[in-house]
Amino acid sequence: MAVSNGLPSSEPPLVNQAEQLDQQERQKYVKGKKLGSGQYADVFSAHLVSDPSKLVAIKKIKVGPEVAEWGISHDSLREIKFLQELSHPNIIRLHSVFSTKSQNLNLVLEHLPQGDLLKLIQDVENIHYGPSDIKAWMAMLSRAVWFCHENFVLHRDIKPNNLLIAANGEIKLADFGLARSFADPYAHMTYNTITKWYRPPELYYQASFYSGAVDVWSVGCVFAELVQRKVFLPAMPDTDINMIGIISSTIGTPTEDNWPGVSKLRGYVPVEKKDVTPVKRKDQWEAEFRAVGPVGADLLMKMFALDPRKRLTARQILEHEWWTTDPKPSRLEDLPRKGGGLETMGEDLKRRGGELPSLGRGDKVARKLDFSTMK
Amino acid sequence: MTVSLEAHGKLPIFEAILAADLPAHEPHPPRSPIHVSHLVLDVRLPTFVSQLTISPPTMSRLAQSRAAPAAARPGDQDGELLQHSLSQLRFTDAQPEPDICPVCKSSRYLNKSMQFLVNPECYHKMCESCVDRIFSHGPNKCPIAGCNRTLRKHRFRKQTFEDIAVEREVDIRKRVAAIFNRREDEFEDLMDYNNYLNDVEDITFNLVNRIDVEENEKKLAAYAEQNSKSISANASLASQETQDYSALQAAEREQARLRRDTARREEEEERRARAEGRQDIINRLASGTASAEQIAQESRVTLKKRMDKKAAAERQRQLHAAAAAKDATNGSSGFLIKGLKTKKEVGPEKPFDAFGGLSFAKHDYCVLQDHYEWDWLNEVRGDVQIVAGGYDVQEFHQRALCDAFAGLGVFVGEEAAARDEAAMGPGAVKAAATAGAAGACTGAKDIKMEDPF
Repeated sequence: MAVSNGLPSSEPPLVNQAEQLDQQERQKYVKGKKLGSGQYADVFSAHLVSDPSKLVAIKKIKVGPEVAEWGISHDSLREIKFLQELSHPNIIRLHSVFSTKSQNLNLVLEHLPQGDLLKLIQDVENIHYGPSDIKAWMAMLSRAVWFCHENFVLHRDIKPNNLLIAANGEIKLADFGLARSFADPYAHMTYNTITKWYRPPELYYQASFYSGAVDVWSVGCVFAELVQRKVFLPAMPDTDINMIGIISSTIGTPTEDNWPGVSKLRGYVPVEKKDVTPVKRKDQWEAEFRAVGPVGADLLMKMFALDPRKRLTARQILEHEWWTTDPKPSRLEDLPRKGGGLETMGEDLKRRGGELPSLGRGDKVARKLDFSTMK
Repeated sequence: MTVSLEAHGKLPIFEAILAADLPAHEPHPPRSPIHVSHLVLDVRLPTFVSQLTISPPTMSRLAQSRAAPAAARPGDQDGELLQHSLSQLRFTDAQPEPDICPVCKSSRYLNKSMQFLVNPECYHKMCESCVDRIFSHGPNKCPIAGCNRTLRKHRFRKQTFEDIAVEREVDIRKRVAAIFNRREDEFEDLMDYNNYLNDVEDITFNLVNRIDVEENEKKLAAYAEQNSKSISANASLASQETQDYSALQAAEREQARLRRDTARREEEEERRARAEGRQDIINRLASGTASAEQIAQESRVTLKKRMDKKAAAERQRQLHAAAAAKDATNGSSGFLIKGLKTKKEVGPEKPFDAFGGLSFAKHDYCVLQDHYEWDWLNEVRGDVQIVAGGYDVQEFHQRALCDAFAGLGVFVGEEAAARDEAAMGPGAVKAAATAGAAGACTGAKDIKMEDPF
């Protein structure tokens, strides 16, 4: 790992130097108020010593049970591993990493004061947005996902509350705690990943070999949620079988016809002929998603292809004609925002503790991850 | 004296005041002819003094040399008269300026609410009742002896500055500044802007000091006519700037909301029209009043009409843009401004680039093949378990090639030096050197490790 200054090395001659570097890094920041606290991490507001106007967020990861075994928690390892390499306007920036005395890891992240996309979607009363706003947000999300995939990173947890909003209105993909790089052939990946409502059918069928298509499904879910202002595939309770049920009834039942080879997947549940729901037709998509027009509905439909091989790739999403058809995407400054501009930022932070809610783990949609099945 | 008071109906009040046993001091000294002439002239006195002493600080570099002889020239409009009276009046003029209307001679003492007004045409002071009396029935000559200018009632206003010369100069400056309202950011560099300011100051100075007034007025008018668009644009810009910042933001938000609303309304309208059209077609088909072909033809026609309407709106917009572009050129008005930036119209927005200006399509050192002769790899394609989950061996090809070649031609030392030079934010320690290199580092190193994920 390249984060030598974040982790104490085991070799005696390096200890001092590593600690020095760590110290140097730590002293660059002045930690401020606690913004939020979760089971897994606390988030603090902070600023540079050299320039108090440059704000950052420091995510202090708590020592968890994994640390005893691995020396570092999986989430923080993944987060550091990928965020330090990915530099894109729509992906949250990791400025630095340092540790404090109790071996706590501190990630210095970009300061994003405007909350997340989920808050905008849910505030139906006060926030009104239109097709061009949706297009602007989706463009930024799609670029972020495309950038990850071009660099062979699967995000595996795309959902509205992981899409934070910067002061200028830009969307930033955050929380790489479940990310991983593309797998080598024959290398198993866990299928128990991605928040339930945003998880694609192949993962419910326990496929161990998958690709960027899983993220594309999640992007589709976010797209639909933006249009409808409610979760697109909410199964209550969110058991796997319920989720397969709602996917089947909403989009169509996966069969050998529309998804060759699906029955060979480990977790495939055979469906009786009479219970098969045909795949939703294009006109049905158009009727349900009028707001984005027929072209937008076409894009959405292709993101929700049951067979991951037929689903659009992140690149194909960006090549779709929807981006260039009317209406144009809103300019950043025209996007509706909840915070109400920079001047109310301080107010905002005071009022609502935890402006970076998805950095903690107290998410509304709980991630029930279970690593016990994996060796 | 009594007669003149009687003429204006002020006598009863005067008598009442006299009847009341007032303190012995006399409010008005007995009037002699000299005093009367003094009253007429004293309004002009400051003008003269200021011309000689106050103006020079505002004088521009070029105007100074031209102005010096002009200001001293005797007989220039009122100058002679004033100079003459000044020598007489210096001695008697010790008491404060009495509030007496030079036209009707009524004084503040008799009429507490008396107000003096001036007209920017000649700046002669007179009381409100005189203005009402003389100018109510339309334009009339100025009643001050020797003035003869035609004045209009609506131009009369209260005096802001005690010194009437200052009043006049401020008025002129206001007028000129409203016309020559170019902004610094319109010029190529500061020198050009300063030269422009200097030229404007020359005109202003000449107008203030009545040097070649006609010629300068002509210049002013010609410039105002030829640059009307940019003048009004700059004026509105200035008024915008004075608005409160938060009010501005609120206005912007409101604008965005309106835009969205309009979009929504249009969409709804469109949808309704479509639905109505469809219903209509169904009805007519059902009733059999028209053949299917006919109806199809008609619906095509309505669609075309809708499109035409849209196209017309688009044309209108383009016309507007063209007119604005024409105005952007710097018209010649005998007042040539050098170094003015050719204004770029904000023009049609750039086409939307979904990729945000990035591309990964180019590989410098490798060419991706569809197929590689390696059974271990190619067996993946045959394994339904692997393929059905969406795993794509092509992505592995790509990644392996990227891992192998991405570092070529990348010199970390040089890039680090360049980065340090650029001195990005001090916190940006872990910034990826290049996006392309990102792939090389992420996956390759820990292939051999047991992957717990």
